[in-house]
Amino acid sequence: MKTQITRLMQPNKLFTAMAIAGTLALSACTATQAPTTVDTGSFSVPAYQQVTLSNGLTVYMMPQREVPLITIDATVRVGAVNDTTSGVAEMTAAGLMLGAAGKSKRDIEQEVDFLGASLNSGAGKEGSFVSSKFMAKDADKMLPLIKDMLVEPDFDTKEFDKLRQREIAGLAQAKESPRAVISRYYDKLIFGDHPYANATSGNSDSLAELTVNQLRAFHKSYYQPSNTAISVVGDFEPAQMQAKLEKLFANWQNSEPVALIDLSKGLPKLDAAEVLLVDKPDAIETTFLIGGMGISRDNPDYVGLTVINTVLGGRFTSWLNDELRVNAGLTYGARSGFTPYSASGTFRISTFTQTATTKETIDLALKTYARLWEKGLDQATLDSAKAYVKGQFPPKYETSGQLAGLMSDMYLYGFDDAFINEFQAKVDGLTLAESKRLIDTYFPQKNLQFVIIGNAAKIAPIAKEHGKVKQVKMTDVGFGG
Amino acid sequence: MKRYTKALFLSLGMLLATPMAQATEAKDIQSFTLDNGMKIMVLEDSSIPNANMYLFWKVGSRNEVPGITGISHFFEHMMFNGSKKYGPKMFDRTMEAAGGANNAYTTENLTVYTDWFPANAIETIFDLEADRIENLDISEQMVESERGVVASERLTGLENSNWRVIQEELKGAAFRAHPYSWSVIGHESDIAAWTLDDLTQYHKTYYAPNNAVVVIAGDVKLAEVKRLANKYFAPIPAQAPPREVKTVEPLQKGERRVFVQKASVSTPNVMLGYHVPATSNSDYYALDLLASILTTGNSSRMYQALVDKQVAIEIDTYMPMSFDPNLFYVMGVANPSVTAAELEDAMISEINRVALEGVTVAELEKVKNIKLMGFYRAMETINGKANTIGTYELFFGSYDKLFNAPDAYNKVTPEDIQRVAQTYLKRSNRTVAVLAATEETD
Repeated sequence: MKTQITRLMQPNKLFTAMAIAGTLALSACTATQAPTTVDTGSFSVPAYQQVTLSNGLTVYMMPQREVPLITIDATVRVGAVNDTTSGVAEMTAAGLMLGAAGKSKRDIEQEVDFLGASLNSGAGKEGSFVSSKFMAKDADKMLPLIKDMLVEPDFDTKEFDKLRQREIAGLAQAKESPRAVISRYYDKLIFGDHPYANATSGNSDSLAELTVNQLRAFHKSYYQPSNTAISVVGDFEPAQMQAKLEKLFANWQNSEPVALIDLSKGLPKLDAAEVLLVDKPDAIETTFLIGGMGISRDNPDYVGLTVINTVLGGRFTSWLNDELRVNAGLTYGARSGFTPYSASGTFRISTFTQTATTKETIDLALKTYARLWEKGLDQATLDSAKAYVKGQFPPKYETSGQLAGLMSDMYLYGFDDAFINEFQAKVDGLTLAESKRLIDTYFPQKNLQFVIIGNAAKIAPIAKEHGKVKQVKMTDVGFGG
Repeated sequence: MKRYTKALFLSLGMLLATPMAQATEAKDIQSFTLDNGMKIMVLEDSSIPNANMYLFWKVGSRNEVPGITGISHFFEHMMFNGSKKYGPKMFDRTMEAAGGANNAYTTENLTVYTDWFPANAIETIFDLEADRIENLDISEQMVESERGVVASERLTGLENSNWRVIQEELKGAAFRAHPYSWSVIGHESDIAAWTLDDLTQYHKTYYAPNNAVVVIAGDVKLAEVKRLANKYFAPIPAQAPPREVKTVEPLQKGERRVFVQKASVSTPNVMLGYHVPATSNSDYYALDLLASILTTGNSSRMYQALVDKQVAIEIDTYMPMSFDPNLFYVMGVANPSVTAAELEDAMISEINRVALEGVTVAELEKVKNIKLMGFYRAMETINGKANTIGTYELFFGSYDKLFNAPDAYNKVTPEDIQRVAQTYLKRSNRTVAVLAATEETD
């Protein structure tokens, strides 16, 4: 492929889709050049309704009739940040699939597969989800199943033991690929003891300790209607769908107040450059992330930062990709991006190179990053990035799954459809002066944090050049702490 | 194979099992052919203010020979590195400044270029594509920096994907004559060695309009697309058709085995490859459904027999669409404490059970429903539509075969599934590859 569109490194939807690797170098300050606005067509969110059922359950409904499918995303406001034992949120969400309301795991899987449908569950940092896509004609079969999973999971002990064993083996397997796990090390390095450091996956020791009783207790505390949203997108009539959901969830009641944690408290101050060196002795290349604190999802400068990041490392012609890949041939791709959460977030530059060129690649990444302050943006580059961001925006909200995900994110992160509907105007309004303010305010310039995965015997001296080094083995339990 | 196929070969297109819904019908796809032989298909769809252009070139690693393995993929990269009107870097800069983005991928059979853009930028896209098709300017300096990029692409694949490591070795053993023998990315020494002359010749031969199929889907109008195609693509001269790939892989007459050692592999990986016919063969549909019966969903046979029984932590099948006879892959990752031999036995025993006992009507109905669902998913986006239309045009001879596929799938019977399992998924036709941390000893 020309470039790799990696979804592993950037969990957030918006930034992910833009993270195609890249870097742009329309050099020289063209202070005299007038801004140009490129018309990329108009785009707004399709009409939808938001209602709250009598038990407090939030429902979003958006009819879309291009194909006879329906997507349902149920989102519960709980995730790894709420972990009491590392991995309990994820295992509780995964455990919903192990049988519900007396139907076994196998019964449910047979039924779902027979309809050609998909049904998945899982947890992230701050949200847990059940997600399903099915043919519209099968709604009356799939909706009760989804309800049973959310409300009456069995957490069968035998199935749980098997799931846990698979997950523990899966952790070892994930560690065979630096790219698959580097973000987990990075979050630990950045957030330290704060809940945002928690790896959703847990670790092999913590999973071994978990019991089904912990899952049941966790479920009881958080899976409540007032803490849940259901997004329905696709081929249906809203009035009928609302009536169905009212009836289906009528007996689901809130059982106790949901314990909230204030994630804006206890955020670390990154007051020293630190390097987490992860030793993988058979590595043939070095994979690394560099960065620091980012922004929260509701930050009013989110859209503007998307544009600036596009210039730095959000597309093929971005500075980072242009320098490291196109000019130097050091890597297949280099990029950057923000990963926002509800109360904080991270920023990172990411790339990889063969072991022998580790030093020059890290140095060139840092030198290129410094251009943000040393030269800043010029008008032509800013105009180009604005056109790019606008032009690539509509396809992110094309499928019922993408639109359901958007509404789930609105529920979790507290933004509304103004994000979409005002997106183009916000992009168009970004000036060079404003871009300078955004760079000075948000991009971490000092005390940069590094995660480097590679052959430590060869690259440890290079790691030392960039800060205080902590070295761990890739095969050690957990992700660096 | 969700986890594995992201590498160089995107799994091309989804197939369907019943008529296309209100989404798209045969009459919605309009096509015309320029005098120079370039065929263009258009699907008008104004659901978002965007459009795409997919250019499918009939060139892939099957067109290579030893010494220039990987050149098709390398060429894919070189197509972005400068032409007459738009010099080095200007293809991407111009497209991105107009709000567009692009990518490309190379398979054993095809090289595909994908442009995604706001619909009102369509003329810029035609101009950019025409310039690099007709007037590519391959400079020595760009070749050298791109060699580094491709070497990094190769390494990062091997570092992060066990699938890549093991498949490369399996193909080498399963094919000893046909060019499917080598990986799409090519041998390391060939990446370092091809010359400017090799590249120039390759472009002239394969990047001729008569060797391409173009699909445009999105918020466009046929008349406008025709006007632009006539203005930008029609003047590009046709070339003599490329020489055909004539090598036929000799019949395999016994099991072949490969072992690969990689220290960081936590549990053994086992891959099986069985020779199967080209996609144009009528057995394609039965084999495709059989793959689904084996590994699609947790109710599938191999999930139940291997993952649920804690023999494997992952199991999958993969059968690439292909111009020439290729392989039906089955790959499993062992559960801790399960040996490679135990995993291999369990995989083979489940495959053999289909040949011995056949499958049920209900299983077959299930996978037909899964195919239908997959088709609808593909047709939710303008990109899925463009890719599906192009795939049918190339591998089944015409895009309108898309509308015959339901019938072809529905006709498959349990007896057909058993017959293809007996015919192709047998020991003498199989190559086994094992990837593990510890080297074999005597």
